[in-house]
Amino acid sequence: MIPSPSWLYYLFGALVLVVAAYGVVLLIFSVTAQRLPGWDVDVSHAFMGVSMSGMFVTQWAFGPSAMWELIFSALLIWFSVRSVQSIQRWGPHLTHFLIHAVMSLAMLLMYWFPMQTVTGTSMASMSMSSTAARLDPGLAFLLVATLCASAIFTLASPHKGASHHGTHSQLYVTSSGSSGSGTMAGRAEGGFISAGVLISAPWLEDASHVVMCVAMAFMLVLMI
Amino acid sequence: MTLAEVQQGIPPSATSNPGMADSHDRPRDLQRTFQMVLATVWLLDAVLQLQPIMFTPGPNGLSGMLSRGAEGNPGWIAHTITWNASIVDHHPVLSNAPFALIEFLIAFGIVWTRTRKAALTLSILWSLGVWWFGEGLGGIFSGKATPFGGGPGGVLFYAVLAVLLWPSARSDEPFVAARTVGVRTAKIIWVAVWVVLAALSVVGGGRSPQALHDLVARSNPGEPGWLTHIDRFGDALFLHDGTALAILLAVVCLVVAVGVFLPPLVAKATIFLAIVAFGLIWVVVQDIGGVLAGGVTDPNAAPLVILLALIYWPISSLDER
Repeated sequence: MIPSPSWLYYLFGALVLVVAAYGVVLLIFSVTAQRLPGWDVDVSHAFMGVSMSGMFVTQWAFGPSAMWELIFSALLIWFSVRSVQSIQRWGPHLTHFLIHAVMSLAMLLMYWFPMQTVTGTSMASMSMSSTAARLDPGLAFLLVATLCASAIFTLASPHKGASHHGTHSQLYVTSSGSSGSGTMAGRAEGGFISAGVLISAPWLEDASHVVMCVAMAFMLVLMI
Repeated sequence: MTLAEVQQGIPPSATSNPGMADSHDRPRDLQRTFQMVLATVWLLDAVLQLQPIMFTPGPNGLSGMLSRGAEGNPGWIAHTITWNASIVDHHPVLSNAPFALIEFLIAFGIVWTRTRKAALTLSILWSLGVWWFGEGLGGIFSGKATPFGGGPGGVLFYAVLAVLLWPSARSDEPFVAARTVGVRTAKIIWVAVWVVLAALSVVGGGRSPQALHDLVARSNPGEPGWLTHIDRFGDALFLHDGTALAILLAVVCLVVAVGVFLPPLVAKATIFLAIVAFGLIWVVVQDIGGVLAGGVTDPNAAPLVILLALIYWPISSLDER
């Protein structure tokens, strides 16, 4: 086993946990404020963050891999169906559901083709199969390139928050449009929703997606 | 638009949201799009730089990779490369972590308007540094700089792209590469690049009959089976005839070099030829830059050459409509 800096894995593990925690907070806010679009992305980020932190730092892992496989299979189906629905409704376009479907697929592949981690025991211990095959490096590289592209183009997009809501929802702010830091829902009501303006700030939603993409790309590179 | 509609995620009509309509209807800024593609490649490199092998001392780590770049170079150049490699060898974590951080900074810096120029400047300086200390000047002095193997160094193309994609408010016509430096300068750069590639195809060890076979044979055994099959197929079909292919590549490069002066339709054909040629080289000879075998820091030169070709694709107002 090649020695590598364990702090790097703890760093990525901590980062994805922060994204997971943010996803949970955003989900609670979304449900309370009846701010429906994007809740599925929050759910997926929460699961992905918790799951991947256990891949980076094995001591942080919990739950049987079958449970995670089930969760990510469900998310893959959900986002695939949503992608098709979005294309049916709005015509051919690169819907944001697609990248979340790709991320769910990547998570599934990580469980189907487990690898050794540096900071603890084998990830294979989490898997049902101890003689797991190796993930095809070509597929892994394709996913890495897709995730890197998603991270960059999310940051570059004038549709802030589109990584959560897509570009056909009103719940984003264009950089050339009004310069508010929160969503329309956040600005529209007082009290709890006002407090949620920061939580649901589009740039924060995009940042969480970018962190998740980079962490996932790194994990896939480790599998090559 | 009512609050209830917002909460339900009901899309607004374009007329009710002029800002959104504007962002959807605005013509695509191709220079910005290509800048983002370049940023994506930098991000990919940054992630590859975090591989465990890059933090490993010794001949199998990054320092070993750097040391091999010294081979065949003049003494004083080789000395600078081995000096740098020894520092990396002694401090693999302290050296490689900043290397990766710089590449993350370049990638994300290119995205934001305020930091774009600084990031592109950093990318040029970093590329030149990596070309010297990391790629041993692309093997130019050792006669190993054949474009089949990634010569004159993939990282040089990052610098060329940074110059050609330097932010400018001008139009994308007649091609994106001309937007900042102007048509005349862009064409000079194009010709220079392709003439150099043509020359490097037929000088040094790259034109020997076994050159291509040796390049492919060097590929890491960790690559996937399907790529090994492609290698074997290519080897059996044509890779044993390195001299003829080197001459053919030189001719292709010269045709592509001239293409930029020809009518748009012919220019597009020559650019397409360049993309196909380097796409094939990337897969069959460079083995997708060796990325699939692990332990490399970038996907090699071919994808950058293809990106360079794309920013010379002739554009007219008619095309945009």
